[in-house]
Amino acid sequence: MAETLLSIRDLSIAYEVGSKDVVAVSGASFDVPQGTIVGLVGESGCGKTTMARALTRVIADNARIDGGAMQFDGQDLAALSERDMNALRWRDISFIPQSAMNSLDPVYRVEYQIIEVLRDRGGMRKAQARARAVELFEMVGIDPGRLRDFPHQFSGGMRQRAAIALALALNPKLVVADEPVTALDVIIQRQILDQLRGLQRELGLSVIMVTHDISVVAYICDRTVVMYAGKVVENCDTATLLNEPLHPYSMGLKNAFPDLQSAGTGVLTPIAGSPPDLIDPPKGCRFAARCPFATDLCRNTEPALTEAAPDHHVACHRASEAAVLRETAKDPATWGAVT
Amino acid sequence: MPDTTIKASSGVARIFEAIKLPVGDPFALAGLLIYALFIVTALAAPLIAPYDPTEILYTADYDLASDLLPGQEGHILGTTSLGRDIFSQIVWGARSALLVGFTAAFMVAFIGSVVGLLAGYFGGHVDAVLMRLADVAFGIPFLPFVIVISAFSEPSIWNTVIAMALVLWRDTGRVIRSQVLSLRSRGYVEAARVVGSSDLKIILRHITPNILPLSFLYGSIAIGWAILTEASISFLGFGDPDAISWGFMLQDAFASQALARQAYHWFIPPGLAIILVVSAGFFISRGYENLLFPKLGR
Amino acid sequence: MSTLKPFLIRTLQLLLVLWAVVTILFLMFRLMPGNPLAAYIDPTFTAEQQEALIRQFGLDKPLWQQYFTYLGNLLQGELGDSFRYRTPVAERILLLLPNTLILTFSSLIVAYTFGILAGAWLAWKRNSRFEAAALPAVLATRAMPEFWLGMVLLAIFSFSLGWFPAGGTRSAGTSYDSLWQLYTSANFLSHLFLPMMTLAIYSQGLPLLLMRSNMLDVMKEDFVTMAKIKGLSPSAVVIRHGARNALLPVMTSFAIAVGYQLQGNVVVESVFSWPGLGRELVNAVAASDYPLAQGAFLMIAIVVITMNLIADLLYTFLDPRISHA
Ligand SMILES: Nc1ncnc2c1ncn2[C@@H]1O[C@H](COP(=O)(O)OP(=O)(O)OP(=O)(O)O)[C@@H](O)[C@H]1O
Ligand code: SF4
Ligand SMILES: [Mg+2]
Repeated sequence: MAETLLSIRDLSIAYEVGSKDVVAVSGASFDVPQGTIVGLVGESGCGKTTMARALTRVIADNARIDGGAMQFDGQDLAALSERDMNALRWRDISFIPQSAMNSLDPVYRVEYQIIEVLRDRGGMRKAQARARAVELFEMVGIDPGRLRDFPHQFSGGMRQRAAIALALALNPKLVVADEPVTALDVIIQRQILDQLRGLQRELGLSVIMVTHDISVVAYICDRTVVMYAGKVVENCDTATLLNEPLHPYSMGLKNAFPDLQSAGTGVLTPIAGSPPDLIDPPKGCRFAARCPFATDLCRNTEPALTEAAPDHHVACHRASEAAVLRETAKDPATWGAVT
Repeated sequence: MPDTTIKASSGVARIFEAIKLPVGDPFALAGLLIYALFIVTALAAPLIAPYDPTEILYTADYDLASDLLPGQEGHILGTTSLGRDIFSQIVWGARSALLVGFTAAFMVAFIGSVVGLLAGYFGGHVDAVLMRLADVAFGIPFLPFVIVISAFSEPSIWNTVIAMALVLWRDTGRVIRSQVLSLRSRGYVEAARVVGSSDLKIILRHITPNILPLSFLYGSIAIGWAILTEASISFLGFGDPDAISWGFMLQDAFASQALARQAYHWFIPPGLAIILVVSAGFFISRGYENLLFPKLGR
Repeated sequence: MSTLKPFLIRTLQLLLVLWAVVTILFLMFRLMPGNPLAAYIDPTFTAEQQEALIRQFGLDKPLWQQYFTYLGNLLQGELGDSFRYRTPVAERILLLLPNTLILTFSSLIVAYTFGILAGAWLAWKRNSRFEAAALPAVLATRAMPEFWLGMVLLAIFSFSLGWFPAGGTRSAGTSYDSLWQLYTSANFLSHLFLPMMTLAIYSQGLPLLLMRSNMLDVMKEDFVTMAKIKGLSPSAVVIRHGARNALLPVMTSFAIAVGYQLQGNVVVESVFSWPGLGRELVNAVAASDYPLAQGAFLMIAIVVITMNLIADLLYTFLDPRISHA
């Protein structure tokens, strides 16, 4: 297996809300091998963005990294000084945001915003940066003639491509993409994902792909980390996750999304109920209230993340029965009304 | 009959609820307290003021009690060159300020709200005409306008009020109009119409309660404007020489060389009184803003 | 270009507003009680002389005819003669306009420079104890009567400390070869300082509060977060992306502030005996010199209306979302 570029261990992140803490990520661990796309998937509010942003260490004012390590390329991001961290930003770790519209500054031309980062962060001279901007636009498939446009003159897809161009500007080692295609329609989604996949192979990039959409994971990710309510519940290569998931939540997720390649076919079964309160989470398995297979053990004792099979991590008391549970999970009735 | 009284009282209750005095905001609370003090002073002026503000006073030795410093001969803030008690003038000045401030604010908020309501609700030609009128009002330099009006009529504090009513509804009108438009676009006006409510009923029942806090926001700003304007007009000599106002006091001091004679005790207090009352209006309006547009949050 | 049409529409609207204001002005001055010439007519004038005057001013004609004469004259820049000075009003106004504009613009430039910087800084210091003290103080400066502030500055810095002259634009007995020489002389500038500071202190609150609240909003925008994630320097984040965006509406407010400031000038010019349009208006009204009062009012209105238009255009021009639609 490839060398590990990023290794997250026992990472916790909390938001202070009044006098309470919302623990948005709690004790998460996973690895990103060099040159792979790792999906980070889970429902809205499970802590994906929080986790992704922690890698840049640009987090909300009320957010706090509450322990754990982010070993990146030989150094712990969580322990770096602000100065060292800043040196690393964008040169080594870049970010593609969900809404490229709001992430581009409306008052500057797109070219300026690319050149800005090439000059300020890449130390390029102006002419050099100009040429690089053209090259980047060609890479992501936008006519370089549009470089002089303002962001609002771009279509949604173009903005997202521009955001990708921006992210690749300084040849980073790791690109963190936070729902890069969620706002787009399915056809454009596929184009952009294809492009991203192509560039990733060509440049040997490592990518963390945050999404709530399991079909995006299926389409592009080599490995997948499933999160639920701030916890990593399953982590394995994508094929295994899709075919032999060990966690009931992963089984449920699969039923809840259409396939990106064959859009619109099959019945979708959402998982009933909603995730637990992160201010005061339940003491047992966090998924227990919605899990069709929950037992008393589940409700009282939290399952630890363990390597149930080679290179396959899962946090479920009943992981050993997964083969049987998977069969039951295929029946939509299983997910009907769980209270 | 009993039916209507119940309706009326529930209407009043609704209005009070709609006004939403912003007592939760510390700024606004301070403003409301200053207002309370101000109103009490204005109403109880004859009880509080030790002298008639226009009376020319004499000392115990029958000399003119002019230019006394604070504390001398029992005059808290001293006296003017003409021998009038400054503190009493400040107290009575609160009356003029209260009168001008509240009537003008009421007029501005009322006219502005009505214009905004009509323009926003009926749209079309009504809107076009009213908004062009607002454009014209925005083209009129306000203070010069008041000066010209004051020159043509008997000197009176009402000139300020009339001029404000004629011109300053413009800001309130525009804001209320866009608020009404956004209320309309939320669709429940259409819904009420489908059910068969009349225009008047929709305006009174559904729209007015929603714009009242905004009207009050602009009203509380207008109080300050009115007091400042009246002070400016009096200062320029177009005010009513018989009504003691803070602006008149400043004009009196200025014309009597109080600056050159360093009579700070004469011209500082009226200025501070104006600042206090006007900023109270700003504080309250700020409270409303926090209430209405919490994104500004702090 | 697509920006041309709204521009034309706005300009047309401006002309309509101007016409309306001119008409209101006409009616105000014609319909007032009393004879408009009363102040002009010397009691020693004979009846014939009086009638000749009335004819000279066209006051014997019907109102509508007077109105059209008035409009026609205005279009030619003809504002009539001042009663008091017996010289053309237009001449007098053009003589005073520079003084007013210098006072207005210098004070607003100081106010906006300070207000923008202080507003951005206060946004930076949000929730600090400093902010808690500064905000009410700023609001209080907006609550001050401008002329009172002028009086206080005058009493302290002129009468008490003697640092600055008490009024006018230059010391008695000084003369300059050209206006330019006058305006750049230390003498003129020392006269300008106190009235300028008075207006500036009063005006800084608007840009300051606007800048602060815009800044607070902008700093929450995604593109600011992205600038941080890009590792741009704090100054690039705050100034290049934060302040640049927050500035847009503040710049627009500048044009509007010019209009408001002209109104404030009326009182401040009076306090400092600054020979400008505002003081002239006050004096003309007090002396019943109606042609001059009318002319001064009109000039102020023209500047106010033009500035409202410029504010509109500035907004369109400065915001690429509109100018490059
Ligand atoms: N600034 C904040 N203050 C308080 N709570 C926050 C803040 N930001 C996020 N949260 C909470 O933290 C949890 C995780 O949020 P996060 O944005 O990381 O979720 P997500 O998985 O990215 O969801 P989505 O799919 O909606 O983007 C949520 O419960 C959210 O409400
Ligand atoms: S631990 Fe229990 S409740 Fe949690 S997912 Fe596994 S089976 Fe369901
Ligand atoms: Mg997210």
